[in-house]
Amino acid sequence: MIRTALAALLALALAGPAWAHRVNVFASVQDAEAGEEVVVEAKFSTGRIPALGEVVVEDAAGTVLATYPLEDGAARFPLDRAAAAGGLSITVRTDDDHEGYWLLTPADLGEGGS
Amino acid sequence: MIRATLAALLLAAPAAAQNRPVIVADSYPVAYFAGRLAGDAAEVRLAVPEGRDPASWRPGLAEIVEIQAADLIVLNGSGLSDWTTRAALPRARTVDTGRGLEGDLIATDTITHSHGAEGSHSHEGVATHTWLDLGLASRQAEALAPALARAVPGADVEGALAALLSDLSALDAAWDGLVDGEPVPVIVSHPRYEYLGAAYGLDVSALDWAAGAVPDADQLAALGALAAETGARVLVWEAEPPDAARAAVAALGLAQAVVPSLAVPPVQGDFAAAMQAGLTDLQAALSDAVR
Repeated sequence: MIRTALAALLALALAGPAWAHRVNVFASVQDAEAGEEVVVEAKFSTGRIPALGEVVVEDAAGTVLATYPLEDGAARFPLDRAAAAGGLSITVRTDDDHEGYWLLTPADLGEGGS
Repeated sequence: MIRATLAALLLAAPAAAQNRPVIVADSYPVAYFAGRLAGDAAEVRLAVPEGRDPASWRPGLAEIVEIQAADLIVLNGSGLSDWTTRAALPRARTVDTGRGLEGDLIATDTITHSHGAEGSHSHEGVATHTWLDLGLASRQAEALAPALARAVPGADVEGALAALLSDLSALDAAWDGLVDGEPVPVIVSHPRYEYLGAAYGLDVSALDWAAGAVPDADQLAALGALAAETGARVLVWEAEPPDAARAAVAALGLAQAVVPSLAVPPVQGDFAAAMQAGLTDLQAALSDAVR
């Protein structure tokens, strides 16, 4: 039997700033009236939807392309295929300090590959 | 770049290194199993860069693209590698060796805390280092075999699986002999040994010390308190500690052993050799503790 209390206290004490929590994120490309959109969905493992947060979009080199608001667990933004040629890294940070990400590769964007 | 880790296998057949199927594994134990089953017929790579923990590694896009292109992606499952749920992996070429272990998984501690607008909430999950129960490790190897046989048609998977299972069974039997009777309390430096303890008669209490660091006075005081509370006379390290750390723990009257948790490759030898070495070291520490 694993001892719980002391280990948990130690873990919390030692983790410090790295104790960032994760949220499940999924992103996909969908057709919209104005063209292709990236649709981002975020949800905690409990099923709860994060009310507010931000979505940070980076290219394959790690350059931040844009930041969008997350509202009711979702965000959407137009797909710029030139900027996304190497894929997109999409990070969600909720207003209560949870974090998650999804990686959209060129294959996921329909650019060929596996 | 993905790091090729099974150097011995690769060096054994350099001429055959090209045009072989590529297998990417999320952690060392399943990479070892894949290497044993594929032999020289495939190139086995570890997805995680050297020195990184599979549990916390976040791949870049280029790394995910390489992983997606592999002929077979082998996962430990059981929640070990967070990144495997953060990108689309090709279902037909991905095998989760933890599938089928659900009834044997060990729930981890629940930590309730409060921050932000969410208020008080809890985090819980399951222990991830399933392979440290060598019976579960055998089942993971068996789960891997059919997918590997399909991905690497040139491999004698059936024969290799029999040899691997024989080795794992012998190790399992040796570990079974570690404790006779009631579970023995031990303290471990990291929360990785839930399955090892449950399988082999160890009543494990976990610290979460930084790898390679010398514990400070508060940590040593907590260790002393935990030893007094549990009756543990042995501290198990995940890796060889600094001399100063060993001396500080010895001053508390605790025997010490190194049992690699093996999510990453061991410093010396392979999975089987490291498990045997860990057993030998722990046997010696338990003997020291009763003197």
